[in-house]
Amino acid sequence: MDVGRHPNVTLLTYSEVENVSGYVGNFKVTVRKKARYVDENLCSACGDCVKVCPSITPDEYQQGLSSRRAIYIQYPQAVPSAYVIDMNTCLGTNPIACGKCSDVCEKHAIDYDMQDRLINLEIGTIIVATGMGVYDPTEIEEYGYGKYANVITSMEFERLICAGGPTEGHFVRPGDKKRPKRIGFIQCVGSRSKKYGSEYCSNICCMNTVKDTLLLRDHYPDTENYVFYMDIRAFGKGFEDMYMRSKEVGVKYIRGIPGEITNSSETGNLKVAVENTLTGQFEEYEFDMVVLSVGVKPQDDSHVIRKLLTLSKTSDGFLMEAHPKLKPVDAPTKGVFFAGCVESPKDIKDSVTQASAAAARAQILLNAGKVKIEAITSRIDTELCKKCGLCAGVCPYGAIKWSKGEIPTVIEAACAGCGCCGAECNFGAITMRHFTDHQIVAQIDAILEKEPMKKLVTFACNWCSYAGGDFAGISRLQYPVHCRLIRTMCSARVQEDFIIQAFMRGAPMVLVSGCHFADCHYINANRATVRRAQRLWDKMEKLGIRPERLQLEWISAAEGQKFAAVMRKLDEKRKDVNKAEVDYAIEVLKADMLKGDAKKAAMEKLKSPRVPEKTQLPPIPEGHHPFKCMSCGHVFTMPYDLKEEPFEWSCPLGECKSNSIRRLKG
Amino acid sequence: MSNSDITVDFEKRRQLEKILGADHISYCYQCGACVGDCPSARFDPSFNPRTIVLKALMGDIDELTGENSIIWHCSNCYNCYERCPQDVRPVEVIIALKNISSKSGKSEEGILTIAKRIKDTGRSVPIMGSIEKMREGLGLPPLAVIDCTDLSIILNPENKDKQK
Repeated sequence: MDVGRHPNVTLLTYSEVENVSGYVGNFKVTVRKKARYVDENLCSACGDCVKVCPSITPDEYQQGLSSRRAIYIQYPQAVPSAYVIDMNTCLGTNPIACGKCSDVCEKHAIDYDMQDRLINLEIGTIIVATGMGVYDPTEIEEYGYGKYANVITSMEFERLICAGGPTEGHFVRPGDKKRPKRIGFIQCVGSRSKKYGSEYCSNICCMNTVKDTLLLRDHYPDTENYVFYMDIRAFGKGFEDMYMRSKEVGVKYIRGIPGEITNSSETGNLKVAVENTLTGQFEEYEFDMVVLSVGVKPQDDSHVIRKLLTLSKTSDGFLMEAHPKLKPVDAPTKGVFFAGCVESPKDIKDSVTQASAAAARAQILLNAGKVKIEAITSRIDTELCKKCGLCAGVCPYGAIKWSKGEIPTVIEAACAGCGCCGAECNFGAITMRHFTDHQIVAQIDAILEKEPMKKLVTFACNWCSYAGGDFAGISRLQYPVHCRLIRTMCSARVQEDFIIQAFMRGAPMVLVSGCHFADCHYINANRATVRRAQRLWDKMEKLGIRPERLQLEWISAAEGQKFAAVMRKLDEKRKDVNKAEVDYAIEVLKADMLKGDAKKAAMEKLKSPRVPEKTQLPPIPEGHHPFKCMSCGHVFTMPYDLKEEPFEWSCPLGECKSNSIRRLKG
Repeated sequence: MSNSDITVDFEKRRQLEKILGADHISYCYQCGACVGDCPSARFDPSFNPRTIVLKALMGDIDELTGENSIIWHCSNCYNCYERCPQDVRPVEVIIALKNISSKSGKSEEGILTIAKRIKDTGRSVPIMGSIEKMREGLGLPPLAVIDCTDLSIILNPENKDKQK
């Protein structure tokens, strides 16, 4: 309500973001302000219209425990304090069909002809605070939610015990409207589970239940409360105190997750079968009501905002921050920040903390009126550019503006310098400042100048693999001396030419390494690395070069162990590469550079020393695709659709686990 | 069991984890959902799939795979398989233990009788006069004797060579 009254805040309620373009400081946002069919300036929220509205529908705010009319206010404190008509349930905008609300409205605030309005805004920074959703436990059949009237979720409990709830604060159970005396709470419903809901801990449910039990003991001291849990996670300030207080007032905590709830059709009471894991006894409890403490999940439509702002998500579906420790409120896209549960499940205090931080972070940019960027952005050479637009297509940030037939332009404020565009450009028209083609090729040449057979050329991304190498060093881990690292900002900077250049200079093995998929510091740039590796493996196979000589690994900054292990493994593989192979590769790659007849003639002269292997494909089930591990040679299938983006592939063999997974044709 | 007594026999645990089905035991967080859902545990308080998985995790499987072991009280209903939030598959851990136990010749006598019957006749329940009578009353044909040659090859591939 304070926000609604604040002179510097414009609140657009009942609106959706339709489109976002531009970049930090210069976002152009289109907002669809949906028609509410009631003029919010005229409406005095007197409620006369509600009395005459004949259309009744479940009240979403009360979790469907009571009903509302088609013309309604979502909850009493809603801003603005004006009614809205839900057109899905309204009998019709035609006054002949109904029109009762319009008849009684003294202020003539109701306008059936109201239209959605599109509002165009110029925005400097954006804070995403779209919240989260709640897990629906219907799928857990053992608990009978939806089947037994007196099994409810913690959200429904919240409404039932609230003075503004459907029962006006009279705490009754839905089955027979009697006050329940024995209440059981079941924790971790839809959280920490590989089967139902999510694998993560939902963070808030333990303390919510502790609060609920205290509330019950406070209002109704004669109730008996039981909590079934596997771990009570009371980690915040004052939380352990509250948990202890709940135990002191007689709430019984039983460590064990119930296997089953059975319902008595006569009394409506519920029997909970559970093992008390602290005593090892199988026990049965009878309750008047069971509350399922449901977990939280990302909003169902969070992909919309993700697309609009080119954000990425973590494996649990929540949006990914720019850095998990050092930039926890910043989005990877510059000028976008997160607040609250859109980033991870959190309680009120943490949400307020993050919101304050996000506001402050946004204010820094707005006050300065300009942004500082690192001098590693990309630059397009307008003379070499062929206007194909590939670079615009691969930029994870949408920082390259291009329309057909035009020379693309780089928005430097939005560019993060990953170099994906530079690697994608076939015409050498893109220069990555400080990571130019010349600089990298010079490094390759220098590495392979002397004793190339003893070198392992490694491309490592700045954030993860290079740091992983550092960590291996700091940890004093032993690994062979033959690896030579070339640092790039992202593995997506490594263009196919660099790898070919290394082979032409006589490199026996090349390793490309980057962040794990979920950790890519450039949203999703390392997917391009996978695509390029696939292309190269195919090309090497065609030219008769052993594809195993190119390896791909994802090594995070914390995986010094893995870095050292990979280096040891690849050094063994390097020893297997013989001189004849390397010489052939040099010749064939040279021949491949030629064009037309000259190429044909050169190719005919060459004969690969390698006997082409025929890979025996296993039977491929429907919807599966064959893959081959380039490290151990294991051939396997897994569910994959060619249209999908690659996900983080690794060899399923326990000993190998290599990320050099080649997608076979088939 | 006081804390100081606990020792983990990693060798045995690894041996168990290598058996397909028991390879998920390390995910177990001892919530007890398997016990709450277990029909055997309801009737026999000494049978507890959670503690069986716990013992498996500690490699303490000698008693479980020994004679008169509690594992034979499992009815293979797979309720715990369905219920387990961590996909530990307690029933398959128990089956793996049963296999180890059988290999060392320590399975229950009753189980051996049934196994032998399946090997010889292809049926777990023998053809009995009372069953035949019941079938006759229901108008069902009498039970046929099953040809066990294929079965004997499945049970022991060497039998295939013998036939040739």
